[in-house]
Amino acid sequence: MHNFITDRDAGRIPEPEESEACLQKLKSSLLRKLKRSAFVYRVDCGGCNGCEIEIFAALTPVFDAERLGIKIVPSPRHADILLFTGPVTRAMRAPALRAWDAAPDPKISISFGACGNSGGIFHDLYCVWGGTDKILPVDVYIPGCPPTPAATLYGFALALGLLEQKIQARPASQEDVLPPHVHHPLIAQSLRIRIERMARRLAGYRYGREISDAFMQKLLTGSGSVQQWLREEDDPRLTEIVGHLYGLVQGERER
Amino acid sequence: MFTFLKTALRGRVVTDSDPVHPLPVSSHFRGKPEHHSRQCIGCAACVQACPSNALSVETDLSAGLLVWTFNLGRCIFCARCEEVCPTAAIRLSPDYELAVWDKSALQQQAHFPLCYCRGCGQPFAVQKEVDYVMALIEKNGEDDIESRRETFETCLTCRRQNSLLSGGHLWAERSLKGIF
Repeated sequence: MHNFITDRDAGRIPEPEESEACLQKLKSSLLRKLKRSAFVYRVDCGGCNGCEIEIFAALTPVFDAERLGIKIVPSPRHADILLFTGPVTRAMRAPALRAWDAAPDPKISISFGACGNSGGIFHDLYCVWGGTDKILPVDVYIPGCPPTPAATLYGFALALGLLEQKIQARPASQEDVLPPHVHHPLIAQSLRIRIERMARRLAGYRYGREISDAFMQKLLTGSGSVQQWLREEDDPRLTEIVGHLYGLVQGERER
Repeated sequence: MFTFLKTALRGRVVTDSDPVHPLPVSSHFRGKPEHHSRQCIGCAACVQACPSNALSVETDLSAGLLVWTFNLGRCIFCARCEEVCPTAAIRLSPDYELAVWDKSALQQQAHFPLCYCRGCGQPFAVQKEVDYVMALIEKNGEDDIESRRETFETCLTCRRQNSLLSGGHLWAERSLKGIF
């Protein structure tokens, strides 16, 4: 049985479990010698259920995690992989540790979603530990809020040793101090800001920037290219927004 | 049975090779935020906007640097940083394959040297930010901006002091003492 009252560090936070060296070796051989499906048990540590929805979306026939031999099991006693979602609330620490204890060694633990990795948006709440790795040793981290089914499958493939890790840490570099480019230098700053603001007000913050960038670029290449762009896109909403932006530019020209 | 076999043999394979090859995503997919540190001026607008504090800045006075840090593990992919960035240094890319073995691979850093005030010698902004403001003003039709570099590299308090003491307004200093 697990000893729930563990050593605490200087900040009165319990020290995470350490996995022993022999278990690490067993774990690496587990994947190579596993001649059956990898059984996954999902542990909800107080998340918002967004991650759960995406996990179940990954199991649907569209993504079909079972074609890779990933099967969700209802008991941690059958599990090879434990999937922890949520920022680990105070109340869910002991159940999570019980599930961890119940799973037979060697086992792989996956921290799922932004909350599981570092507490996510809940990281500074009084009632959360802020991440699965605060209470247990974690093998694979899957970022995302929530991770899409495709990202989930990639995470499983990484955990099963089928694929390689794609992203690396980026330290500070010489490139940091190089001078930045000024965007649309031929358009006056005040007009550029008004165009961007209007585009965002009409189209939302992400589409607005895309539309205003494309519009200003086309505006400088020649008056005909804006019309041609609108004809190619053939989107009445875009035409309306660009019409408003064009009115703004015309008003400025007349002044 | 025969009809079933015929249908099965006539069918084609529709399974994608995901996750070996990434799936195509929509053009507005919000994936991993790409930070172009060259384009970044260290204004920390993204840090103010980030709802989950995935972005943070710290001033390292001993090294004279502003340390910009991004923790991908905490990012919720809301694109608020992309919205507020004045130089479009941060953009959300369609990359979604972000799982890692080691948590430290989720960290990104950038260092920006600080600008020290010509008057009091205290750091008050990031050097790149001051340079960018000068470049913007120059692009908007101001000539010989380089000759006014000293004014730009002076903090607001010192500028106020300078304007107070200039010309024949020395009497103002006497009556305003204790206010500034």
